[in-house]
Amino acid sequence: MKISHNWLKEYIDVRLKPAQVADRLSMLGLEVAGFHDLAAQYDKFVVGSVLEVARHPKADRLTLCKVDIGTDRLDIVCGAPNVSAGQKVVVALVGATIPRNQHDPDGKPFVLERATIRGVQSNGMICSAYELNLGEDADGILVLAASAQSGKPFAKHLGVADVIYDMEVTANRGDWLSHIGVAREVQILTGNKARLPKIQIKESKARASRFATIKIVDRDKCLRYSSRILRNVKVGPSPKWMQDRLQAVGVRPISNIVDVTNYVLMETGQPLHAFDYDTLADHTIIVKCGNEGETFTTLDGKERTLRADTLMICDGKRPVAIAGVMGGANTEISDTTTNVLLESANFAPSNIRRTSKYLGLSTDASQRFERGVDVEMTMYAVNRAAQLLQEVAGAQVLAGAIDVYPKKPKPLIVFARVARVNAVLGTSLSKKEIVNHLKSINLEPVSSSKEGIAFRIPTYRYDLTEEIDLIEEVARVYGYDNIETKTRTTVDFSKPLKIWTKEDALRQYLIGSGFHEVLTYSLQDRSHASIGGGIPVDVLNPVSAEATTLRTSLVPGALSVVQHNRSHGQPDLRLFEIGNVFSRREGGSSEDLTGYDEEGRILMLITGNYLPQQFGTEHRRADLLDLRGEVEAVLAKFCLDKYRFISYDSASALIESALAVEINGSYAGFLGKISKSTAQRFDIEDAVFVCELKLTALERGWVSEKKLTPLPRFPSVRRDLAFVVDSNTEQESVARTIREAGGTLLSELVLFDVFVGDQVGAGKKSLAYSLELQPLDKTLMDREIDAEIARIVARVESACHAKLRAL
Amino acid sequence: MIDKSNNVRSSFETELAAAGSESDLEALRVKYLSRGGLIAQLFDEMKSVPSFEKPAIGKLLNAIKTDAQRAFDEKKAALSSGGSREGGVADLTLPGRPRHKGTKHLLTQTIDEIKGIFTRMGFSVVTGPEVETDYYNFGALNFPPDHPARDMQDTFFISKNVLLRTHTSPVQIRTMEKQKPPVREIMPGRVYRNEAVSARSLVAFHQIEGLYVDEGVTFSDLKGTLVAFARQFYGNDVKFKFRPTFFPFTEPSADMYIACFLCKGQGCRMCKQAGWLEILGSGMVHPHVLQNVGYDTERYTGFAFGMGIERTASLRYGIDDLRLFYENDVRFLQQF
Repeated sequence: MKISHNWLKEYIDVRLKPAQVADRLSMLGLEVAGFHDLAAQYDKFVVGSVLEVARHPKADRLTLCKVDIGTDRLDIVCGAPNVSAGQKVVVALVGATIPRNQHDPDGKPFVLERATIRGVQSNGMICSAYELNLGEDADGILVLAASAQSGKPFAKHLGVADVIYDMEVTANRGDWLSHIGVAREVQILTGNKARLPKIQIKESKARASRFATIKIVDRDKCLRYSSRILRNVKVGPSPKWMQDRLQAVGVRPISNIVDVTNYVLMETGQPLHAFDYDTLADHTIIVKCGNEGETFTTLDGKERTLRADTLMICDGKRPVAIAGVMGGANTEISDTTTNVLLESANFAPSNIRRTSKYLGLSTDASQRFERGVDVEMTMYAVNRAAQLLQEVAGAQVLAGAIDVYPKKPKPLIVFARVARVNAVLGTSLSKKEIVNHLKSINLEPVSSSKEGIAFRIPTYRYDLTEEIDLIEEVARVYGYDNIETKTRTTVDFSKPLKIWTKEDALRQYLIGSGFHEVLTYSLQDRSHASIGGGIPVDVLNPVSAEATTLRTSLVPGALSVVQHNRSHGQPDLRLFEIGNVFSRREGGSSEDLTGYDEEGRILMLITGNYLPQQFGTEHRRADLLDLRGEVEAVLAKFCLDKYRFISYDSASALIESALAVEINGSYAGFLGKISKSTAQRFDIEDAVFVCELKLTALERGWVSEKKLTPLPRFPSVRRDLAFVVDSNTEQESVARTIREAGGTLLSELVLFDVFVGDQVGAGKKSLAYSLELQPLDKTLMDREIDAEIARIVARVESACHAKLRAL
Repeated sequence: MIDKSNNVRSSFETELAAAGSESDLEALRVKYLSRGGLIAQLFDEMKSVPSFEKPAIGKLLNAIKTDAQRAFDEKKAALSSGGSREGGVADLTLPGRPRHKGTKHLLTQTIDEIKGIFTRMGFSVVTGPEVETDYYNFGALNFPPDHPARDMQDTFFISKNVLLRTHTSPVQIRTMEKQKPPVREIMPGRVYRNEAVSARSLVAFHQIEGLYVDEGVTFSDLKGTLVAFARQFYGNDVKFKFRPTFFPFTEPSADMYIACFLCKGQGCRMCKQAGWLEILGSGMVHPHVLQNVGYDTERYTGFAFGMGIERTASLRYGIDDLRLFYENDVRFLQQF
């Protein structure tokens, strides 16, 4: 919303500088995002009086002028053919920025310097209309009226000495979308009262009510309809002062009639519409809802389809405007219009908003109606417009207004308790202070008791309906800065504090293991987002094709990170992400959360070289077992031994050579190598290994209460065993057999060698284990150890078709 | 017995150091480490040691045996590879062996730091779902239906009543529905806004929300708590101001600003010449919100606040393109 400082001054006496106005209004919550001085472009331009004109000694086409600029007399060299003594002209002083350079093909601005032109010094420049950005005439200088005052800043002479504020109006304050509304806020800064201009209209004898009928059918959607009829209007451009004001606040002048309605809108916040009276069938206005599916062409030439709840202004036969949004092409003001019916109505906010949303059409009118417009403003606004049309378009105003106001609301009274004000704000304001603060924004105290004060709410303050609203107003006027900053740091120990989560613990552990935490977009394109399986969740109104669908897996995001880093010379990566994935839940409703699964996941990824490049260490690529080792470390840390890995054949499109991870006997996720086809989609040639686990599964297996297991008091014994088995025998089955046979005595089992080669025979492999035996109650004798080992060997040999290999 | 054992150890060490060839080593192995070698003989002599001495001597012999074997293996490996890779002479300027260094994402670091400050003030951490219903995201938070306040946050819809939460504030409602006052919680999480992606805006970002509801909580406490936070996070000498604003779920509402820490309030590119940076939104919880969760609005008052993590981190670390947070370039991650 653009607000003109000069315009504001019509309603309230403001003696503050624009910077102060901007700063203090912002501190009241009416944010001034910026302001600019319209006169600034004519800084260093003054009105001059040409005293003498002499020929330039060295150039026929140049003249030497002596110009009076009030405070000084300047010698100026001028090239214009039309300069002569006695003229009032515009003088640019040295240092002025000339808006347009008429010697530049693009008319770029330039800064005027003191110059010596063919041997004669020139101390300024007499400007053309083109150079001043006031017209296209570049052939001669601009000659001002003889009454122009020498020495007067040119901006002042032009009357453009104005400052325009750019206001960011919050959604609750529709009343700020007008100059009078902002002026009422300025009351708090200055203590002065804001007032609208007094209206005087010369009415004709004929009464308006004889020339039109107005009826409101949908009274819950149209609260009031006020109207005036004007005859013999002369359509033409509006006067310059009005055009200047409208342009200053960003409204394009169109014709005097339209300009007046816009002027009154910017002044009062009341949207107005002017109908060509003679195009209204039966000279009748009926306010009622449209027919579902009916089409209607608005002023902008677009055809709109109506709904059954679209409130329309109709004449005797057809719709003529979409109420509160935009008028119709069929009754719009044209060059030939002579009679006008002015609409100044009030429409219910929620219906206007629904209509505006549905049509995708937001206008100056709809923006105000959806926030709420003062229902008591319609008559003032229509009278003000009639008065202005009389002034600028010679209109005859028919006597009386037609004002249909089915149900005038009772004044709203809100009670504010002194104790409550102070209890919410932490202040100790007296009743008198509260009354004074609220009176400054036109809230009238109507009664007072020991407890508090009842205030009458002005009709334009739609946002004030209950006590808390008044408390906010007290705080605003009193000043947030004046409320004490009280630091109360008593900690409540009645409940345990939840500070760090299991996710934090996982994160910390993985960072220590050399993984980078990444965070990736959860809205992705549909093909990526659906990689994880399940029914993906789409958004109805995506902003771009890259963000249409919620991710079903953390894998695609991580692969994008791999892709990015590989293309930036970083192929060796260890990454993890903790985040949510989403899918539709079958059987649930799409209209509540029963229809959606939102699940926390953790993803770990390894690709490239196992170790960073270095000396003295063999280089190798990371493989699936590296990742498995990291996953086992995490699981062993947080879930102890409550997990296992299960290989499964069915390689998916996403993963090949996959393992399922079980925690506490239920599926927790998978670990595997990204399939070639998937890797190709991300331009990744390297092998990428990923593990994605459900956080809930990890949390279910989480061992958070730990008790000490006493440390062994007797020496342990380590023995190494190597078995030759069939090459298709799974290591896991051998290890499981050893564990079972070893029982509680076997405290540790480490596979330290896997060997395939001639020495063990074709179709065979050797698995070498290191076993630690830890007795709890005594020191083992050699023969006891030997017997135990022999028992384990025998079990493995028989259960796994294995043969002990001599080490 | 102890002396004898130690003599065997020192003679082994001397001879090992002198051994210069594979054959020297083999002779040494037979002499000391074989089944009938000197060390095995020591173990045999254990039988004659008095039983009270056995544990100590056994321990010693085990140590001699394992040390000797390890030293022997190392020497053998060094000889067979034709010399040590590190060279005979220790070069102490050699770099340490590098390993992969993990990092916590900058956004998580920022969340953790903010969490740390508020938890020390007695706040607990709670989270809530990203896919939300219209009720929790808007209705319960006093956004009237068909009100322009809803345009303050461009929303991604999943269905008519289900959406991607536009702020972490729905967690306020979920938290209060579950517990009675006092409530003192902070709520970090992802939120979504239907806006075109650019250097300055993303379709999803992180927020951290705070809520304190109890008897006797005032606007004055709101200021005090948030100023305490700003002092911890931005420095003890930080200058601040609170400015009225509008949120449907708080009243009175306030935006908190701090003096730009780059230009100290003089005006610069970061603060867009304003001298001030908006760091968070806040306000007294609206009585309608408390009513919606069944709290007695006469007895309880509270305040809430929220801030964007990406914005907070970008201001603090001078990051002018928010997309960097989600590119996860390791050269970016490693800087923090």
